[in-house]
Amino acid sequence: MMSFIDRLLEQRARSAAQQAPRRGMLKALGGVLVGASTLPLLPVARAAGPDVASRPQETGSDTDCDYWRYCAIDGFLCSCCGGSANSCPPGTEMSPVTWIGTCHNPADGRNYVISYNDCCGKPGCGACLCQRDEGDRPPYRPDKTNDINWCLGTSSAAYHCSAAVVVGVAFEE
Amino acid sequence: MVNAVIKVLIFAVLGAVCPGLTADEPMNPERAKYHYQMFCQGCHTPDGAGANAIPPLKDFMGYFLRSQRGREFMVRVPGSALSTLDDAELAEVLNWSIDNFAGVSLPSAGYIPYTSQEVAVLRTQPLQEIENHRASVLAEIASLGAQGAES
Repeated sequence: MMSFIDRLLEQRARSAAQQAPRRGMLKALGGVLVGASTLPLLPVARAAGPDVASRPQETGSDTDCDYWRYCAIDGFLCSCCGGSANSCPPGTEMSPVTWIGTCHNPADGRNYVISYNDCCGKPGCGACLCQRDEGDRPPYRPDKTNDINWCLGTSSAAYHCSAAVVVGVAFEE
Repeated sequence: MVNAVIKVLIFAVLGAVCPGLTADEPMNPERAKYHYQMFCQGCHTPDGAGANAIPPLKDFMGYFLRSQRGREFMVRVPGSALSTLDDAELAEVLNWSIDNFAGVSLPSAGYIPYTSQEVAVLRTQPLQEIENHRASVLAEIASLGAQGAES
């Protein structure tokens, strides 16, 4: 039985060695390597993927009050305080409890859902005070009021600055 | 043709007997998620876990489906009853939240989705006092044998 398998393998190996070009392996491997490296360059429909929510096309500076994501902001920009539009400065804690609205992104003409996450645990930053208030509502609509301190889900209620995180694409009826 | 006539008749009879079965259009997950983000997520957080005093939806809201008072509670809380969503949108976002967050708390037999007719009636009775009411609903559900519903 074993000798039969030996013979079979030997025959196959010899016939493969006689028929296949010696550089075939290199050629195939090279093709795969070059092919794989060009895949990311191909035009893939990325707009359909989940990335569109987290990374829309953007223009403008996130240290300006005019930046598109800040359409409803009321506070200090974390971008000017050692953080960014997405993240808190070191030493502060991002509140998971936020006020949420939509902003129009001029770069792609779409509306996005923006979460205004306050960064908490230090006194007010004091830099880049912005107040745009689009969509801001009186306190009898508390979930759409930016006048209250949203440091609600954090260990400290001290307000430091506000981030503006893109959490999704607005649903258009 | 005969089949079609029979189907129409069946739906007509069902519609007359149980109006909730016919009116609502199918769930649109993108619309439901958007409404969750706009009207719920700010406090209940993106995954429904809640924070500090904000009650969790995640692995919890399904307990309320085990009693009629619990089922009504989820519509009568201010965030639901007083929201600017219309009845169909509110029913949709409640069902979407249950599907996405209830997890282990969902009754093993599943649940009957909310309809716009059901929430239309319930939201006319928003709760004035919530914490004690919630505690008594949960005590009742725990007494029915739902482990984990105590908090």
